[in-house]
Amino acid sequence: MKLLEIKNLKVEANGEKILKGVNLKIAAGDIQALLGPNASGKSTLAYAILGHPGYKITEGKIFFQGKDISRLSPEKRVKLGITLTFQNPPAIKGVKLFSFLKKIAPQKIVNKKLGLAPSLLDREVNLDFSGGEKKISELLQVLLLSPKLVIFDEIDSGLDIKKTEKVAKIIKDELISKGVAVFIITHSGQILNFLKPNLTNVLVEGKIVCQGKDYRKVLETIKKYGYERCKKCSLSTGRRKRGSNASSLLAN
Amino acid sequence: MQAHYWQIDHQIKNITQAKGVVVLPSLKAWEKFSWARKWFSRKPKEGYFVWVRKQVNFPLATCVTIASPKIAQDLTNLLVIEAGLKVKANVVCHAARKNLYGSHKAQGKIVLKENASLEYNHLHQWGEKDFVGPNYEFILEKNSILLYTYKNLLPPENLELKTTVHNAKNASCNLSFVINGVESKIRVEDVVFLEGEKAKGIVRLRLVGKKNSQIEALSKITAGSPGKGHLDCQGLLVDKNSTISLKPELVCQNKDAQITHEASIGRISEEELNYLRMRGLAEKEAIDLIVGGFLGN
Repeated sequence: MKLLEIKNLKVEANGEKILKGVNLKIAAGDIQALLGPNASGKSTLAYAILGHPGYKITEGKIFFQGKDISRLSPEKRVKLGITLTFQNPPAIKGVKLFSFLKKIAPQKIVNKKLGLAPSLLDREVNLDFSGGEKKISELLQVLLLSPKLVIFDEIDSGLDIKKTEKVAKIIKDELISKGVAVFIITHSGQILNFLKPNLTNVLVEGKIVCQGKDYRKVLETIKKYGYERCKKCSLSTGRRKRGSNASSLLAN
Repeated sequence: MQAHYWQIDHQIKNITQAKGVVVLPSLKAWEKFSWARKWFSRKPKEGYFVWVRKQVNFPLATCVTIASPKIAQDLTNLLVIEAGLKVKANVVCHAARKNLYGSHKAQGKIVLKENASLEYNHLHQWGEKDFVGPNYEFILEKNSILLYTYKNLLPPENLELKTTVHNAKNASCNLSFVINGVESKIRVEDVVFLEGEKAKGIVRLRLVGKKNSQIEALSKITAGSPGKGHLDCQGLLVDKNSTISLKPELVCQNKDAQITHEASIGRISEEELNYLRMRGLAEKEAIDLIVGGFLGN
């Protein structure tokens, strides 16, 4: 049984059709990546998986551990073990990070190995946090939620190579090594060099148009030809030939 | 060591005196100290008198409780702090149960003599059917400092809170009102008079409107001298049936005075709410957390 299975997912937000039939499977312990140009629907897919009320499923279903969760509230999905780190988390004024962590995970102890400055715990959640502080704070929050699947929405955006490596190490040590599935949404793809996904998906105009096992080939192709090449992939047009796959296509 | 006054309904439950502090029922003080009469706005029926004569190293504590049904308290309170003393006071007024239909009215005067300093924590907790009407006046003599926090997280059905502060030369006050309206009709009126040169006043209002609450607040600074003042008024509407009306008002009677204000009323941010839900909090828990943060809990 797959951990997460998405079948023909179509999603609207603010009356706009964003996801136009996404199919995706993630198994326990998977390291998968999702690449895509701006406004292709990457964050929408993350929000839809989490059950964000602003994102309406018009067709298709989401299954987690075999259970249809398409109509489940966000908080219930989190309790099942689905979590998300936000690209731009909002500030919660007047709420200290330490008391917030206690609220979301009363029984857990903050892991000091993450390199979190103690003073950050005493600051209001996400208020005037630097880019790096936000990423560490987001990571810390999802770790405390005992996840089975963590979706990282642009966890590497705005980070230099050293900080990206540090974040990747935490993901490896605290999640991947413990069998937690990770789904890494990234625009730059920088973090993939450290995490080495076993499957890389490409989302273009609301559809996953390509899946490749070798993330380097996917990244190289996108770097060389842009996402235009992905659109011409046989997977995207529905003209997929028997035996063809994205990797072989991208290798051409 | 402590100085304490505790009244339940109309009965004095306990008075604890301490060296340097006189604690009396206000009627007794009226009879005993002729000098105090000028500070009482009327002859007291009930209430407390606290006179801090010497420096103490413990907080003053008063507690006025409504414990029986349909009690109507009518208090006259006076707190006098002698020159140069630094004092902290924890003042609690509350109902012991939710449905007592009590009435709690208080006329209070707080006098800070020259160079005195007072941290005054005023905590109210009421039942859903109570009427509460405190009217407090602070007299700040030269160089005195007042830090005043009024917190009401369990509001009555009807609250009329009036606060007036008179700041003499170089006196400063920092007032904070934190009120969580739940099925309540609330009227808040606070006025700071900057009467002496270099007097300072800051007022911070945090009002939350929940469950059909009607909240009206008038926050005012009048600068009659070259002082500085600022009003910071913020409201948060949690449901569509509540209303908040905020009226910051500045009156400047001196060309060298500097008084400013900011005011805003917002609602719970969907973005914040959804973020918290995606951290596993139920919608109500998420709203309570946002409201708690807004009120500075």
